[in-house]
Amino acid sequence: MQPLIATLFKELRLLYRDRSGLLVLFVMPAVLVVVVSLVQENVLKATGAARMDILFIDQDRQAFGKLIREQLDALDTVTLVTSLDGQGIDTEHARALVDKGRYQVCIVVPAGITAAVRTRAVEQISDAFSGGSREAALPLPSVSVYFDPLVQGAFRSSLLNALKQMLLVMEMETKAKALAEALPARFQQTLSALAGRISMDPASIPKIQMDPGWGGRRLMDVVAEQSRLKKLPTSVQQNVSAWSVFGIFFIVLPLGGAIIRERKDGTLARLRTLPVPYITLLVGKLGAYVAVCWVQFLFIVLMGKAGLPLLGTPVLSLGSDTTALIVTVTMVALAACGYGLMLGTLARTLEQATMFGAVSVVCAAAMGGIMVPVYVMPPAMQTISMFSPLAWGLNALVEISVREGTLGSVRHELLYLTVFFAVTMAIAWTRFGRFDRQAEI
Amino acid sequence: MTHPEFPPLTTILWAEGLTKTYAHTRTPALASFSLSMEPGEIVGLLGPNGAGKTTAISLLTGLLAPDSGSVHICGADLSKNPRKARQWIGLVPQHIALYPSLTAAENLSYFGRMYRINGRELKERVNACLEFVGLSNSAHGRIAAFSGGMQRRANLAVALLHQPRLLFLDEPTAGVDPQSRNMILDRLSELSRSGVSMLYTTHYIEEAEKICSRIAVIDEGRTIAQGSPGELTQAHPDCNDLGQLFLRLTGKDLRD
Repeated sequence: MQPLIATLFKELRLLYRDRSGLLVLFVMPAVLVVVVSLVQENVLKATGAARMDILFIDQDRQAFGKLIREQLDALDTVTLVTSLDGQGIDTEHARALVDKGRYQVCIVVPAGITAAVRTRAVEQISDAFSGGSREAALPLPSVSVYFDPLVQGAFRSSLLNALKQMLLVMEMETKAKALAEALPARFQQTLSALAGRISMDPASIPKIQMDPGWGGRRLMDVVAEQSRLKKLPTSVQQNVSAWSVFGIFFIVLPLGGAIIRERKDGTLARLRTLPVPYITLLVGKLGAYVAVCWVQFLFIVLMGKAGLPLLGTPVLSLGSDTTALIVTVTMVALAACGYGLMLGTLARTLEQATMFGAVSVVCAAAMGGIMVPVYVMPPAMQTISMFSPLAWGLNALVEISVREGTLGSVRHELLYLTVFFAVTMAIAWTRFGRFDRQAEI
Repeated sequence: MTHPEFPPLTTILWAEGLTKTYAHTRTPALASFSLSMEPGEIVGLLGPNGAGKTTAISLLTGLLAPDSGSVHICGADLSKNPRKARQWIGLVPQHIALYPSLTAAENLSYFGRMYRINGRELKERVNACLEFVGLSNSAHGRIAAFSGGMQRRANLAVALLHQPRLLFLDEPTAGVDPQSRNMILDRLSELSRSGVSMLYTTHYIEEAEKICSRIAVIDEGRTIAQGSPGELTQAHPDCNDLGQLFLRLTGKDLRD
């Protein structure tokens, strides 16, 4: 019994002294729970409860346009954007912004919809009383909704349903109003027909005839317009872009680990006594790991081109600007390797590098939209996601592969990745020359 | 191994007034340390744990910058012209500073290329160095699969590849079997005869007595004795050997 208790206490003491191990045990799950819960919070509200900016163009400028705007404004989950930089938005500009993914949704209330709906309501009630129908002859006024093709189907459906319900309520009010206006005239007409022949027998009183199909006839509708993109995005495109960026950033683990091993076993000390500039050693390492990142990317692309189609998915398409793709993947790889080098020079132990490297990449991936689209995240997380290098890489790759993007259209993301790479390399280089050299020999 | 391209120099290492105090400490790890070495000389740097031996090697190889003092190697100022000075030095760290998943030949080839040696010359030097340390038959074995003694010898071979004039050896025989130790010491003596100078740290006093032409004893960052083994023991007739002298100079208190 004594050896058993002694062993148990020894293990607990060892665990207590192993700070890195404890961090992995307690901090990593805590960090992941916080980050992933935050980014997924709104996904669970898939009924359209996610607050998002929606472009709203009211070409009607009459009662209906105003009413639709008021109803949308009243929703907690939507912020209507009716002007950009103080200027009104035209439909073409709005569609371009949605196609580029700057906004996920644009709602256009067409000019004349108020008059058209009212006319239609009056005609429908008239038809209902007369027994006729001019339904086929009248075009159905509709509110147009433009979606970013990358918006998930569930979100798209929930928004369309919410809009349809909203319009249905407005429609009922309009119909009720039209009926209230038409009914007295109809009564008067019926009563006039009975002039002087009022009978006490209720069965002899003539009934007002009305077509029961009137209630189901639509006054207006919501139409989801088709995207103007030449090729609609596929799940393969999005997943290859997302998971290849994620995979590339995991290079920080072997790269950081390699530097720490070199530090620990004295190899780095030996290297630093060579007549070779430190930067040569760093750049040599960088080149090798960037090459590995490229092989990794090509492997995932091969799966998308040849492997996944065998399982019934569409063949992967990576856009038409190969130069932009090559530059982007190289910059993502450089950013990842720069981060790995920095981690390897900052961390004191292999455990620290492994733990922090893995957790930071997973968190940056979650915040960067790899696991959950950024537009469904809470506003604070959307702001934070703008600082995730994985988000920059993902946005650039999606822009190129899905939206036929070019070097020009991903210039901002490339700039951010370049700055990130430069900063991490500068830190790594500085640290490389300032290690506590006493312990390294 | 021969060193035909060595320029004729009378002073290989010249270090003067080296002082280093680490951050967050008050007392210097090394204070006013001076040393000069001539071709073929083996200087033993002895001292208890924490005496400043590793700091001295770090300063002399340029791994650390001194707070004051200067180091010249083969006439080149280490702080002003580090690349030129480093051409002449080889470091044998206390740890096995090799890539364990690479073979002995691959390790040597890599470090050789770092000195811009390539082609046939590189191949010849790799073979010569491996032969010198008795690893010719294990050239294509991975370092990770080597015994402790083989790893030590490979560690030494890498430092010899570029034919240095000055070798820094930090406990090169720690934890190896008597056969490997004997071979390493024989090879170091052979290198000394060919003109290579060596600064040698060890806790094995008898090793130092056997191969060192001069010994410097340092404690608490200061040089407390210097001279040939014979001179040192003669100066302290009450000590039978260097081991006794070492304890007399540094005390019998444990150093942690």
